[in-house]
Amino acid sequence: MSWRGLTLRMARLGILLTVSAVLAGWARPASAQIRIEVPEPGGAGVPIAISPLSNPDSHAEQQIGETFASTITRDLTLSGLFRVLDRRAYIEGPEGFVLDHINFQNWSVLDALALVKGGFWLTGERLTIEARLFDVTQQKQLGGRRYIGHKRDVRRMAHRFADQIMLFLTGEEGPFNSKIAFISNRVDGRIKEVYVTDLSGTEVRRVTQDRTLSLGPSWSPTGAELLFISYKQGGPYPFKLDLATGRSARVYARIAYGASWSPDGTRIAVSIDQNGNSDLFLLSPQGQLISRLTYHGGIDVSPAWSPDGRRLAFCSSRTGSPQIYVMDIETGQSKRITFQSAYNTDPAWSPKGDRIAYTARSGGFRVMWTDPDGGEATHIVRGEHPSWSPDGRYLAVTRRGRLYLVSRDGQSLQQLTGGSGNDTSPAWSPRLP
Amino acid sequence: MHNNKFRGGWLISVLLLSLGLIGCPKQSPQPMSYGSTPSTSSGGSEMDESAVGEDERIQERVQQEGEGGPLQDVFFSYDSFELSEEARQTLQANADWLQNNAEVKVEVEGHCDDRGTAEYNLALGAKRARAAQDYLITLGVPAERLSVISYGEELPQCTDSNESCWQRNRRGHFSVLR
Repeated sequence: MSWRGLTLRMARLGILLTVSAVLAGWARPASAQIRIEVPEPGGAGVPIAISPLSNPDSHAEQQIGETFASTITRDLTLSGLFRVLDRRAYIEGPEGFVLDHINFQNWSVLDALALVKGGFWLTGERLTIEARLFDVTQQKQLGGRRYIGHKRDVRRMAHRFADQIMLFLTGEEGPFNSKIAFISNRVDGRIKEVYVTDLSGTEVRRVTQDRTLSLGPSWSPTGAELLFISYKQGGPYPFKLDLATGRSARVYARIAYGASWSPDGTRIAVSIDQNGNSDLFLLSPQGQLISRLTYHGGIDVSPAWSPDGRRLAFCSSRTGSPQIYVMDIETGQSKRITFQSAYNTDPAWSPKGDRIAYTARSGGFRVMWTDPDGGEATHIVRGEHPSWSPDGRYLAVTRRGRLYLVSRDGQSLQQLTGGSGNDTSPAWSPRLP
Repeated sequence: MHNNKFRGGWLISVLLLSLGLIGCPKQSPQPMSYGSTPSTSSGGSEMDESAVGEDERIQERVQQEGEGGPLQDVFFSYDSFELSEEARQTLQANADWLQNNAEVKVEVEGHCDDRGTAEYNLALGAKRARAAQDYLITLGVPAERLSVISYGEELPQCTDSNESCWQRNRRGHFSVLR
């Protein structure tokens, strides 16, 4: 078990949350340090108790407090960093969620190191949540957040607080206030639509109603739009979907196989059919051709941007089998970075820039990673089509028609989607507002 | 390039009529909201109605592989778009039929098995369709009677995980447009 002691300061609090306010006790002197040690994903996990929220005013709508707790429970379990203690063992009830009203003995006997408690208030449809994170051993409040919004936003508030718990205990915000776009034929086997799910897997929404084949969603850097390939005008063309209005528009009037937005939003890399062969091109987001990037007779597909927007990883069959290459966009120079198997596709560049994950075929399909400059290939998990979380700690992959989330070392694996149909091509959004 | 307006013409009209699909309301997306405005409630069940779009016949077309009449499929090896000797013989027979039916236009569809990634397989399917089309042209079929489209791994003939099924899916298929 590799316990990594993390020394964390309280002062890193410049986070602007549109629906939250910093509560007293979150900002602390820079000298204060947390004693809780957070292990790598896949270790035993920090034991944490997550109490349902209580409503001091009324016993109505208790499910809001339950939903908040269960959403955080699922997020923290997914993180692989925590072991959420079984609710049934809790001695203390949800009420009493400020420091002086908590009997920490009730939690230390359960071996909890951290505790989440809080309250909620309803005014009509308007929901206010106050959530607090406590250090059980030191009997201190580590942080608190207030969220105000519509009551149906309770899961979003919970995801944000889960992200804050991650920030507080690991120094880096969690990825849970984000979404995953994917392709599914769950409604009608021969029709593939684009779906978006939250990270609970409970709020799954179909965002196209095209009754045709849709492929390969890719997020805009703001999370407001999706690029995807659709057959709704005959052959596969690239489309741009505005998620707020549900409207989509063709981006480019040529057959295309995949498209990907640059991290700064100014360019779209796209694989376009060029007399029966696919090559990579750059377009503006409005669909103007900027430049052509590849000229090979082999297949060139699946462009994936480096976080600085200067390089593209892509898949090419130019040597006879699909392999991953990295191109410097400025010079046009490409370098092959995969050598271990005869079939390597679907590169995904980590948000920190340090790894390229991809799909390899070797005794079934598996997700591997390697250095962007080439080097050893490391197995992560069985599955296909990796997409990185915005914090770079996790990947979404598809396995046997289901989406899974996996920690980047492969140690923690959680199923995200289920039910009928095939769910494929996950694309993890940026952090959402 | 294929022509998306007229592809599948008569055949699809018959198909749509027989399925009662013409005139069904098409559903349009429920607006989503992001950011600080409240989002709509649970997933995807609420929808508006709107008229059937011009695209509709093409979309329904996707569900059912086009009919090839006497034109036979050609099959490919894994991750290959090379025409085998057997494929060339099949294409010769297809070319002969096309020579005798000079009014027929054909869309050559490239398909793949599901082992591999969707995007790569789309590009591979395009290469397969193009290889079959090129060979038909060398056999004397006028290029303007042939269009190509790739469906990648999206429209499998079968979904079992064994070689005989994968082989059936790695195909060039010929869809008569007329």
